[in-house]
Formats: sequence, structure tokens, C-alpha cells
Amino acid sequence: MRAVLILAGKDLRLRLRDRSAVLIAVVIPFTLALIFATVFGGNETPRPFAYAVTDLDRGPVAAAFVDVLDRLAERDIVTVRRVADPAEAAELADGGTIDAAFVLPAGIGTDGTAAIEVIGNVNAPTAADVARSLAAAFVDDLTSVRVAAVAAAGEPHDPRRIAALAERAARFTPPVSVVDVSAQRRILDTRTWFAAAMAVFFLFFTVQFGVSSLIEERAGGTLGRLLAMPVPPGAVLTAKLLTSVLFGASSLAVLIVATTAFMGASWGAPLAVAALAGAAVLAATGVTAVVASLARTAEQAGSWQAVLAMLLGMLGGVFFPIERVPALKALSWATPHGWFLGGLGELAGGGSLREVLPAVAAMCGFAAVTGAVAVVRLRKAVRP
Amino acid sequence: MTLRQLAAPPTSTGTGAVLSCRGLRKSYDGRLAVDGVSFDIGKGETYGLLGPNGAGKTTVISMVVGILPPDAGDIRVAGLPMTLRALAAKSRIGYVPQEIAVYPDLTGRENLRLFARLYGLRAAAARARAEEVLEVVGLSGRAGDRAGTYSGGMQRRLNIGAGLLHRPDLLILDEPTVGVDPQSRNAILDDVTALSGRGVAVLYTTHYMEEAHRLCDRVGIIDAGRLVAQGTQRELTALVGQCDRVRLGATGDLASAGEALERLGSVRGIAVGADGIELLDTDARTALPAILAAVSGAGATVRSVTLEEPDLEAVFLHLTGRSLRD
Amino acid sequence: MKALAIAAVDLRRTLRDRTNLVFVFVFPLLLVFVLGTAVGGVAVPRVGVAVAESGPLADRLVAALAAQGAGISVRRHSVGELAPAVAHGELDAGVLVPAGYDAAIRAGHAVTVEFVARPGTVGTRVGSVVRAVVGHEAGRLRAGLFVAAERGVPLDDGLRGVDGVAASLPRLSVSARTVGTDLDTGGRFDTTASTQLLLFLFVTALTASVALVETRRLGVLRRMLATPTSTAAILTGEGLGRLTVTVLQGGFMMVATALLFDVRWGDPFAAGALMLAFASVAGAAGLLMGSLARTPQLASAIGILLGLGLAALGGTMMPLEFFTPFMRTVAHVVSPHAWAVDGFTALGRGGGFGDIAVDLAVLLAVAVVLTAVACRRLRRELPGGTSRSALTRGAGRS
Ligand SMILES: Nc1ncnc2c1ncn2[C@@H]1O[C@H](COP(=O)(O)OP(=O)(O)O)[C@@H](O)[C@H]1O
Ligand SMILES: [Mg+2]
Repeated sequence: MRAVLILAGKDLRLRLRDRSAVLIAVVIPFTLALIFATVFGGNETPRPFAYAVTDLDRGPVAAAFVDVLDRLAERDIVTVRRVADPAEAAELADGGTIDAAFVLPAGIGTDGTAAIEVIGNVNAPTAADVARSLAAAFVDDLTSVRVAAVAAAGEPHDPRRIAALAERAARFTPPVSVVDVSAQRRILDTRTWFAAAMAVFFLFFTVQFGVSSLIEERAGGTLGRLLAMPVPPGAVLTAKLLTSVLFGASSLAVLIVATTAFMGASWGAPLAVAALAGAAVLAATGVTAVVASLARTAEQAGSWQAVLAMLLGMLGGVFFPIERVPALKALSWATPHGWFLGGLGELAGGGSLREVLPAVAAMCGFAAVTGAVAVVRLRKAVRP
Repeated sequence: MTLRQLAAPPTSTGTGAVLSCRGLRKSYDGRLAVDGVSFDIGKGETYGLLGPNGAGKTTVISMVVGILPPDAGDIRVAGLPMTLRALAAKSRIGYVPQEIAVYPDLTGRENLRLFARLYGLRAAAARARAEEVLEVVGLSGRAGDRAGTYSGGMQRRLNIGAGLLHRPDLLILDEPTVGVDPQSRNAILDDVTALSGRGVAVLYTTHYMEEAHRLCDRVGIIDAGRLVAQGTQRELTALVGQCDRVRLGATGDLASAGEALERLGSVRGIAVGADGIELLDTDARTALPAILAAVSGAGATVRSVTLEEPDLEAVFLHLTGRSLRD
Repeated sequence: MKALAIAAVDLRRTLRDRTNLVFVFVFPLLLVFVLGTAVGGVAVPRVGVAVAESGPLADRLVAALAAQGAGISVRRHSVGELAPAVAHGELDAGVLVPAGYDAAIRAGHAVTVEFVARPGTVGTRVGSVVRAVVGHEAGRLRAGLFVAAERGVPLDDGLRGVDGVAASLPRLSVSARTVGTDLDTGGRFDTTASTQLLLFLFVTALTASVALVETRRLGVLRRMLATPTSTAAILTGEGLGRLTVTVLQGGFMMVATALLFDVRWGDPFAAGALMLAFASVAGAAGLLMGSLARTPQLASAIGILLGLGLAALGGTMMPLEFFTPFMRTVAHVVSPHAWAVDGFTALGRGGGFGDIAVDLAVLLAVAVVLTAVACRRLRRELPGGTSRSALTRGAGRS
């Protein structure tokens, strides 16, 4: 055990001195997570939708609609510019200066058959859809009040009674509303998602610095020297695995803390996150150790591991939701990445250690199987 | 260069020997690399394993230090059997591998401290001992620099230093001077002499005749995995008998010149090289005219002739019919 | 031509390594296929609707969602599986109609329909559609409840009355149309192919710089200089080698995606020129990195960072149209990808050389600047730098 600690201490010291190791372990995943989170937007929309509104009516109903838009603008969800000429509004949408224009026709409040025109830019389908929905919701609200009043009034048609009823109906709140519960339903927010995805993706590169150095030691002759020393033969391999685990765990720990502090990621219950991270480190170490045991040169090990890390990362959904491809859906569960991100998703809604146990168990399973294969193969390798 | 006329040590008998090897055999993929090698090294004795590249020296050493299990044979270090897990036996050996087995990204000092700890020294003792060894191998001035920045000779010295940390009873050096400038080589050879003077047994492999000549009390000559002869240098040169060694610098058809020479009755061994021919002759002084005639008769031109007392090189030529160098 | 000889050695070294081939030729195609299938082109947002407790009102809501006509695919999903399916990306969004929906409404209580979506524009879009549909239903129910309360009849009677009135009443409506030139060229693989092309060309060129770092470390560069070869020839050779690999990869990807996935690259000469210009930038960046990095590990680490980071910033993972104006400016300042993305978009819309002239010019200028800086660096590193090259320049040309 003493020899194991001395050797692992040596390896860790070497790695910390090696700038590229620190880059891979911490700097690069953090920077990429930051870039991705910035590019892909922190919240629902990457930027406010740009709308224009042309009010040809100038009545109270039109004003109410413009008011709805203004309130959204205050919350930075949309920007609204007022345009006098409907042709100009259409031109702005056509040129892509704005995403969509609303044209409120004259008589919107009085003429029952008027139509709010929504002119969307074809390349901004989201913004156009949202615009159409905003208009529809407004119209629905108005209509339902009128319909309610007319239906309640019944025959004969008495405009004054209808007006009085409409006033009452308007105060009647709609019984159904929509609440967005994404945050409580285990859906990781963008920042946490990219922080976690990059952390686990680069973990598979980070842990290489332990196990794979076994190959370097063999090539450099230091392995022979170590084995000729009064050090149990198992100690060298154990130390290498321990280095991988320690280095991987430190990398994840630093990334978790850094992304929480500087990127606003929210990983979830600390204990559960620690369990997931630990299991991921073990799984990554096992997978990497198998590759190291198969490779003959350090260079070979490096490039094989890179291929595998890319492949597993892709299948595990690090870069994009792989489950959209039905044929590959099941494969995501064949990767530690998939389990890790899935487990973190469980925590997003406030889950605790219990919810992530399946993910932890699955990753430990990876670690056990790959670790066993690697140890059997590498035990031979640590003998010259 | 003075021949060290040390009295031959008492023939080691298993029990008293620091190292005793019996019938070592090892083959790689069915090809025998070491075949029936037996030798002993006593306390304070320097034993040289002399042989050309590929003779099997490193294979023998690897088995002795317990990192390569022999196919057959028995190795005892101070009476303890050597195996992969023989930690007690291993802690008596200081091993200096053929390649420079240090961590280039650690400083010289850090390398030595690390290895000292692995040899079982406590932290404080390891620190102190690392400084001593740095002094011994003359690296104190550069101890704080990364080993990767050292010159070839300095790296070799650090490589040796790492084998001295735990004051071993037996120091095993596998071609420690390969690729080293003459000055560093001298320093290394002096270090080894000094150590053996302090009672450390040394097993030293080399393909340089001069090194074996300068350092070793006894020499084992190894070729193609077999120990073809061993003994003190005097015993070995006696094997050659009264032969003289003749070195001919020559150009032209050296192959047929060699064949012509073999037909001369007094020639005992012959090695044809790229730029000349070496041969052993029972009486070179009288045979020289015949030798020169044979060479020019075969279409080669002799440019120089050297006559030498028989040495280990001559012994090797005598025993194997080949030169050590190629 | 010694430069050619050096370039040939370089090329052979890269192509001999089988894992390199996987990275250079197989991976990009695989990604184009998978990404194109998963998120490419005109993907229809997928929404799952789960009903905890069935009832006429709940079923009506589901039917309304399914009939929304906003280009969203809606299907039933089990309650327990809904959130996980969204979390894993199988669905873009989910709608959960809670247990007791019918009963609560009939009793006059407020009900909330839960909406879950992955963060992103698709979620926003689906969310607005779902809100509109639910809002419409809520309006009808509110009117029904009002009528029922006013007249003291059951809700169903109230709703019948409301539906009757709604059908006859002239009503305000929304008319929507879209304008502008459709940027989407239609093929689901088109955008994916061009963006993956850019991403991989750059990454390949940067990681290939590892070879140059090794050449520098092994002292091969010095040895070459010891032969009568000019620095210019060596640098040209190294640069040419890098460029050839990148261009080979780019050409292969363009032809393969055109044949396999029907990707339309637009005017083939303009597209080829654009690829060549971008490949020059990538090759030059690789050369610069090879001249700067001290160790191969450092080179490949920074290669990954720049390769993925600049690609993301340059709009290869999310269209530049979605960027804020500020970020769009940043993208064009720091990332050559942004210019190439603009160029390929223009070509996809049927543009020709004239439409990508600016993009081409910017890319070529960047390539020239990067190459110049890299050459200065390498020259300075070579022993005796300029004086040696002056001595051997004549020999190098012969
Ligand atoms: N690991 C190995 N696998 C196969 N053959 C080997 C191996 N190591 C050494 N050999 C062969 O065994 C023979 C002896 O090698 P070695 O002990 O290294 O010689 P020396 O150290 O005297 O130069 C050589 O022919 C060499 O090729
Ligand atoms: Mg050897």
C-alpha cells in the first residue's frame, strides 16, 4: 500500500506539472462548456424575438394587444417596434430585419370579422409561430368573453344585456392554464447540461494520464526498474489505476465547482452528484484501462482512446440528443456518458441519492467488467 | 591502463556467494536466448559478463533481478531464491538497467527520492540519502533540474545513482556506459571500482573488452546465450595459449584473403571485418611473411599490421571465431 | 521540387495511420448521417401528450393539440415515461393533462396543464403553440362555465350553448403568412453536411499539427536544414502536406455526402473554391499551432479546444441567425467558420461566385496572415535561421 501511494503521488505530481494534462482535465472542458452555453443560449430563447406592430385601429382593443407585447418586451422576451405603414412592416419581415409583424386592422374592436395579420419571416419559424400564438391567444380571450356573454344572454338579442354580461364574463378566469415545469421535471438547464456533457466527455481523456502511462513506463524502461525493486508487482498496476481515479475525480470536482461558481450550473444534491461523479470516474478508468491493455505503444493507446471517447460521447448524447435516432436510442444506455447525464437529469428536479442509484450501479457495472478485463490483461503486461 | 592483478577470489561455493546462478535458461518464442548459464559472485567481487550485442546479457540480468521468470534454473541472492515476488532478495540488489530508466520530467533529486522511498527508506532518510548519492555521482550541481535536460552522460550517472540508494550488497549494471562520452565513462568506471572497493559485489555486463579488462576480477564470456568460458582474466588469456593477435588493416577482396589465411597451419582463429582482418596465430613473428603473402595473393592490399599480446578480445576470437565488435 | 517531396512524406505519414483515417474520413460521414437524421433540416418537433385520467374534456384537449396545424407532431405518451423521454431528447416537449382534469373543471376549480421541454428554440416554439391551443380550450370552457353559472344549467349544456353561438357569431380571427426567401435548402442533410465539413476540416488540420511538433522535437527539421534545402522549401513542404490532407478530406466529404445523402452543395466550382479557401485557413492554423506548441500533447489538447470552440462560435452547431447581433459580430471576428458558413448558405440558396466573394476574400486573407506568422516562428526556431536559408537558397531551388 505504501508503494502504491508513493507511485500514485509521483504520477499525480508529474501530471500536475504537465500543462497539457491540466488543460485537458479542467481548462478545455470548462471553456467549451462556457462557449456552448453562451452560443446555445442560457434561457429559453437565444435572443429576444424581433417584432413590429402596425396599429391601424387606434382603439382600446388594439391598444390592449400592443400592451401585451410591451409587457413581453419589458421581460426581454421580444422587442417591439411601431411601424405606421403595413407595407413597411411586411418589408421589414421580408428582409429579415424583424422576425414577424402584426398588423391590427381598423375596426378590430367593432367589426366582428376583422383579422389580425401576422407576417412572419420564413427563416424565423419559431418567432413566427410564437407571434401567431400570441395573436391567437389574444383573439381567443376576446372571443370567449363575447361568446360567453351572447350565449348567456340567449334570445332575444339585447345588446345592453350582452355588454353587461360581457363585463362579468371578462372577470371570470379561464379554468385551465399551462405551467412550465421543465425545471422540476428533471430536465437539465442548458448550462448544467453542457457543463456535465463536457465534463464527462473529457473525463475519458483525463483518466488516460494514469493507466496509459504504464505503456510509457514500459517503453522508457522505468517499469523494469520498478519491478526489480522490492515493490509487490501488483503495486505498480494499482498505483496506475489509482492515479487515473484520483486525477479523474479531481478534474470532475474542479469542473463541478467551477461551473457552479462561474457559469451558474446547478448540478443538484451534492451527495448524489458525488456518487455519480465517482461512478463515472471508475467507469472511465476501466474503459481506458482496457484500451491501454490492448495497445502496444503509447501513441496507439492515445489515438484508440480518442476514437473511443468520441464514439462513446456521441452515442452517450454528449453532443446532441442521440435518442432522436430511433436505431441508436438503445445504444445510449450502453455508454457511461448516457447514464451519467441521465442520472444528473434525475437530480435536476431535486432528486436525491436514491434516484441516481440505478445510474450509479450501471456505471459501476461498466467499471467492474472493464476493470476486470483490464486487470487480467495488464497483470501480464506489468511483467516484461 | 594497468592490469589489476588481484588474487583470484576463492571459488565461490553456493552458500557464501552473494549471487549464485545455476543452469539458467530462457527462450523467446522457441528461440533460445540464454542456455545453461551458471556463475557465482562472491562478496566484494566484480564479475563481468562480456559478449556482443544480442548475446543474452540483458536476458540473464533480467532473470537475476527478478523481472523475468527463467524457463529453468535457479537464482539465489545471498541464499534467498529470486522470484517475481521475492521482495527480500530484491531489496539486496541495486539494479542499473541498460536503458536510462528515470523519469525525465522529474528533477534528478526527485527521481532519487522517489526510488529511495520505493526501496523502503523513510521520507527523511530518503531525502538525506538522495543528497549523498547525488554527491557520489557528481550531480549535486544540477539536482534541481529536470532529468530530461541532462546530457547523456549525466543521465547515465543518475541512472546508476538510482541503483545505489539503499546500499545494496549486489550492484548489477547492464551496459552502463553505452552512448557515453569518454570522460563520463571514466567517471562511471571509477565509481564502480570505488564501490567494489567498499565490499559491494558487482555484476557488470559490457561488450567493451577494455571495460571488462579494467574492472573485473572474473569475467564470463557469453555468446549466443551460452557462457563459453569464465575465470580470472589470467585464466582466460591462458586459454588462448601462446597465440599472438594480429590485426591487419587491409582493402580489397578480404573474404578470399580470409579463406587463404585459414589454410595456413599456424592460424588458430580469424575474423574478417569491413576494413581488415583479425587473426590469432601460434607464432606470428615467424608466420608474418606467409600471412602477408597469403593476403596479397588473394587480391587484397595490406595497409597496416599490428601485433598484440593476447587479451580478452583475443580470447573471444579464439573461443567463437568471431570478433566482439560485430 | 523538394517541397513536394516533404509534402509527400507528410501525407504518407498521416494516411498510414489507420486511426487517422477513421478520424479523417469515416467519423465525419457518420456524424453527418446521424446528425442529419436526428436534427437535420426540416425536423418536425415531437411532442408527447400524457393524460393521467381520461375524460371527455381531457380527450378534447388532446384532440385539439393534435389538430393544431402548426407543424408539430403530437402523440400519446405514458405518464411515467413523459419527462424521461423529454429529458433524453426522444421528445422535444411533453404535455401532461393532470388526473381529475374533467372533475376539477366541472367543479369550477382551476386546473394546470404541465408543460416540459428541453431548453432551446424548439421548446420555445412548441411551448407557444401549446399555450395557444390550451388557451383556446380554456376560453371555451370559461364561456361554458359562465353560461352554466348564469343560467343554472350543467356545464355540458352551457358548452353546447357556447359552441352554437361561436359557430354563428362573426368573430375576430388571425391570419398568418410568411414572407422572405427560404434559407432552408430543403434537404435534411444539407446544412449538417456543410457545417460538419467545416468542423472536421479544422479539427483535422489542427490535430495534424502534432506531426509538425514531433518533427520539430525529433530534430528532423534541423536535419533537413543540414541538407541543401532552403527554409522556404521546408516550410512550403510542411504547409503543402497539411493542406493536402485537409483538401483531400474536404473533397471526399463533399463528394461522398453528395452521392450518399443527396446533399446539394450549389455551384460546384464556387463550393470547391470555398472549401479550398477554408482548408487553407485550417491548414495555416495547423501550421501555426505546429510551430507554437511545445509538446504534441499540448498541440492536440489545444487542437480540440480551438476545433470545437471556434466551430461552435462560428455557427456550425447553431445557425448564426439565432445569435444575438453582438454574438454574430463576435463570431465573424474570431471564427473563420462563420465566414465559411455564410458562404455555404449563400451557395445553398443558389448563389454563385459573386455572392461569396467577400467570404472567400476574408478566408484567404486569414490564411495568408496565419501562414506568414507560422513561417516567421518556424524560421526563428531553425538554427541560424535566415543566414542559413540565404546560403542554401540557390541549392534549394535547383
Ligand atoms: N522480449 C524479447 N522477445 C523476443 N526476443 C528477445 C526479447 N528480448 C531479447 N530477445 C532476443 O534474445 C536475444 C538476447 O537478447 P539480449 O539479452 O537483450 O542480448 P544483449 O543484452 O546481450 O544484447 C537476442 O537475440 C534478442 O533478439
Ligand atoms: Mg542488452
